[in-house]
Amino acid sequence: MIPNIDELIQNDLIHRSVYTDPKIFDLEMEYIFNKCWVYVGHVAEIPEPGDYKTTFIGRNPVILSRLSDGEITLLINRCRHRGPIVCQHEYGNSKHFRCPYHSWTYDNSGKLVGVPMPQGYGSTFDRDRLGLAKVARVAQYQGFVFGCMTEDGPSLEEYLGGITRFLDAYAAVSASGKIELFEGVQKCGYNGNWKYQLENGVDPYHVGALHLSAVTPEAMKIYRQGVGCVIAMDGHGVTDHTDWGPMPADAGLSGGFNLVIFPNLIVLRSQIRTVRPIAVDRTEIYTNVVRLSGVPEEVNIKRMRDQELEFGAAGTFFTDDLEIFERTQEGLQSGAVEWLVFARGLDREEVKGGYMTGAMSDETQHRGMYQNWKRHMMAAASSLMAAE
Amino acid sequence: MSISRSQVEDFLYMEARLLDSQMFEQWMDLFSDDAVYWVPAGRDDIDPSRHVSIIHDDKESMAKRVKRLRSGFAFAQDPASRVHRLISNVRILSEDQASGALEVTCMMLLVELARKRQTVHTAFCEFSFDTRKDPWSIRRKKVNLLRNGEVLESTPFLI
Ligand code: FES
Ligand SMILES: [Fe+2]
Repeated sequence: MIPNIDELIQNDLIHRSVYTDPKIFDLEMEYIFNKCWVYVGHVAEIPEPGDYKTTFIGRNPVILSRLSDGEITLLINRCRHRGPIVCQHEYGNSKHFRCPYHSWTYDNSGKLVGVPMPQGYGSTFDRDRLGLAKVARVAQYQGFVFGCMTEDGPSLEEYLGGITRFLDAYAAVSASGKIELFEGVQKCGYNGNWKYQLENGVDPYHVGALHLSAVTPEAMKIYRQGVGCVIAMDGHGVTDHTDWGPMPADAGLSGGFNLVIFPNLIVLRSQIRTVRPIAVDRTEIYTNVVRLSGVPEEVNIKRMRDQELEFGAAGTFFTDDLEIFERTQEGLQSGAVEWLVFARGLDREEVKGGYMTGAMSDETQHRGMYQNWKRHMMAAASSLMAAE
Repeated sequence: MSISRSQVEDFLYMEARLLDSQMFEQWMDLFSDDAVYWVPAGRDDIDPSRHVSIIHDDKESMAKRVKRLRSGFAFAQDPASRVHRLISNVRILSEDQASGALEVTCMMLLVELARKRQTVHTAFCEFSFDTRKDPWSIRRKKVNLLRNGEVLESTPFLI
């Protein structure tokens, strides 16, 4: 049965099945993760020729590589012979990927360059057509690399829309204008839907409540006063605290902005978080920590130490976020109550600078993201209807 | 007289017991003022000034963690995890009687029960002690989790 997508997202209400129905999750993989621009990594993760990173676009395992000419390529990590992934490491440097099963060998641009005992294949065997599949489109903005599984649709810059201005400002905090990263990744998982993390990445309303045990009294005061605003920006979510102060070099809770770039990238403070949906009730978060150029080393170290104290699997903030995501998944199992309420700010939000904008504790940005979700999922509904 | 392995074991069992019994303040008192409490991420041999860790605390950060756990608002520890730590394979690597420096390694098996879910961690632990005073103080505790490169569940208790 096709879930009735149209009815699941009301303007201020979201149906619980959006978070609990495995059929919805399957449709999301196909109609969101296989259609949108999906974040796969930052160029700072693969600085040298031959460097690669493996990751996922929805359910597609992919390899992001830097070729010898410096170009970036994004390949499907799946042997064209009988299907295993050809690269099992998270990061590395190699000009070739060899599938160990029967030793088909590909170069890092995907070309099939080696097949043992090729005479066993007939004359129709065309190795040019059996290279690793390429992700249809790959593009980058401020070094953030995105892949798109479809040829058509908006360009990356069109897709990001107003968010590009914020990414420019984020990169500009570094004196070189370029984002640099500390080595390593913090990885956490929770038994809950991936969209809780998207909502939570731009949710100032919760900071003074859920994070009562961790937030400083000064920051708490600002959150309670509600300085700044939330913006529904081209299907993505923004909390803009620049009224309070610019993006601070020490990455403290004192201004700047949070970005949730639909469907899987969160940029806030010193963190680049990648959201990886595993199942309707399972999600993984991979976090890279940004280092700045042109600041004293102590400032960079403090950015990293604060991030470790507050976020990551043992973080004083993040453990409570992870906890609430799991409790939400548990609560939404109940069919006795159908709807979640996303109504904050409905009667005070207004269009500013071309975007629907709410007060700092409002849910305008969430409503915008779910309208975007709905647009993509409606396409699923209509093509399924046509197929039936 | 040099320090025996059973003296070291007694100390490590006591440290584990303080954590298992949630006696966090007494646990923190075991650490010197310049102590480092470190749980690397990714692998054991990272440089913590270049590579992100799971935990890399000085005493001030440790105090923040403990204060949070005591605040009444640490929702991820309501109810608190129940934890059993088993310590074994204790080895004395070196002892310098003049400076009181003692280097020890051990294995830890940590079983956490929280929200009906039992999570098992194992770790290779490294300790640096200052043994000049009684009780000794911990100058460095490094917990190399077997799964430090994997996706971890929320870990709101002290490791
Ligand atoms: S399956 Fe990869 S070479 Fe045969
Ligand atoms: Fe949070």
